[in-house]
Amino acid sequence: MVKSFAPTTLAEALKLRKAHGLTLYTGGTDLMVEAKEDASYLFLHKIPELKEIKQDAQYIRFGAACTFSDLIDHPLTPKILKEACGQIAAPAIRNIGSIGGNIGNGSPKADSALIFMVTDSLVRLVCEDGERMLPLKEFYLGRKKLALRRDEIIAEVLIPRQNLDNYYYTKVGARNALAISRVAFAGILDVRDGVIRHCATAFGAVSDVILRPAEIDAMLTGKTLTQAKALRQDYLAAIDQVIVPIRGRVGVEYRKDVCLNLVRDFLDVNGI
Amino acid sequence: MSVFNLNGKEVNYAGSPAGRLLDVLRGEWQMTGTKCGCKEGECGACAVIIDGKLTNSCLVAMGSLEGANVTTIEGYRETQRFAALDKAFEAVSAVQCGFCIPGMVLAAECLLSANPHPTEDEIREGISGNICRCTGYGPIIKAIDMAAKEGDGLW
Ligand SMILES: Cc1cc2nc3c(=O)[nH]c(=O)nc-3n(C[C@H](O)[C@H](O)[C@H](O)COP(=O)(O)OP(=O)(O)OC[C@H]3O[C@@H](n4cnc5c(N)ncnc54)[C@H](O)[C@@H]3O)c2cc1C
Ligand code: FES
Ligand code: FES
Repeated sequence: MVKSFAPTTLAEALKLRKAHGLTLYTGGTDLMVEAKEDASYLFLHKIPELKEIKQDAQYIRFGAACTFSDLIDHPLTPKILKEACGQIAAPAIRNIGSIGGNIGNGSPKADSALIFMVTDSLVRLVCEDGERMLPLKEFYLGRKKLALRRDEIIAEVLIPRQNLDNYYYTKVGARNALAISRVAFAGILDVRDGVIRHCATAFGAVSDVILRPAEIDAMLTGKTLTQAKALRQDYLAAIDQVIVPIRGRVGVEYRKDVCLNLVRDFLDVNGI
Repeated sequence: MSVFNLNGKEVNYAGSPAGRLLDVLRGEWQMTGTKCGCKEGECGACAVIIDGKLTNSCLVAMGSLEGANVTTIEGYRETQRFAALDKAFEAVSAVQCGFCIPGMVLAAECLLSANPHPTEDEIREGISGNICRCTGYGPIIKAIDMAAKEGDGLW
């Protein structure tokens, strides 16, 4: 029996989730491309608790059912995230596609998720019996595999407050089925008084999951720009090592080349 | 069962909650102004307005509509704003085969209601999810610009 539910409170949604499992549905922009006739959906788009955007001392917090349009319109959304959301598809998709769905589909191509990765964001997972926080990086277990239990939903995405002014973001190619390749890269470099306080990069659509090579980026942290420049080749070689593109896809080498060129450009524009 | 508002009238839907709004509009309710071009969210021919927002009806499950306000081209054509767009589209011959036009017009409505005086780039962005294989977009952009100017005050 196909049954769907459209709860208007989080408590109600969690109860239904626990009792029936169900397929979580926020905007449907991924799910409805297949539109399984026999699917039983738990609709999440009418739950006010999942639509809030706010900040506290540590984080900017986005409800999982916020759409890309909601983020673009909100003053608390960091510029890098607005830019990435603005480049997603077209208005009709941005109006209903959500960040929870973008993370929940588990795709390495997810564009808002790339920004949540490069900013070392957390997801707040809730179920009827409680909640837990997980770094997004740990939420992605492998190709289309998520650390989401059958009774849980993603309730919130939390970006640690940090200096995101100096960022680099580029998305290459289109989503269009005919486009052979698509790569996205995001980089953040916080430089104060000539010293790199924080360096972070993330790569979309090259591996089974979004790549976030924090250990490699750490090579540059604490260095002056001159020291970083001396490390440039080692840094690039390490990034080269870590990008293992998805086998069997068209343009595997091309994708990797594009990634490395984008990293070079990221370093160039920052004088490294 | 979902109850929602369609073009100003309350409707009850008792079919599958997983069904597509596009299929129900065209197949069950014979409202064929909403077109089907891809069923993948890529073409915009199936666009409708849901709670004030441009939405591709091929990506909407019926069960999500409980309490929503849905406007299709059949409802929108009764408005003064439609008349202004209609006049402008005609004036610059922005319609060829017409397949994309219901979606274009609703995209124009959503654009103008958020931004009554758009630049050309903003118009392009507003209709960026609506594919037209006939006109090359030039005349459509001109028509929306003209409607914005001549229909000033409507939006
Ligand atoms: C034409 C078109 C163009 C697109 N272009 C882009 C693009 O440029 N960039 C991009 O990144 N994406 C793109 N997408 C994909 C899609 O729009 C996004 O991934 C979007 O964020 C999905 O959100 P949703 O709310 O619509 O997800 P849904 O379809 O509702 O759900 C997607 C998945 O996430 C799960 N899910 C939903 N909500 C939750 C939750 N709260 N907790 C846990 N799991 C959840 C669902 O069960 C499902 O598996 C495009 C899609 C289309 C149709
Ligand atoms: S039919 Fe819905 S976008 Fe093409
Ligand atoms: S007029 Fe033919 S598709 Fe636009």
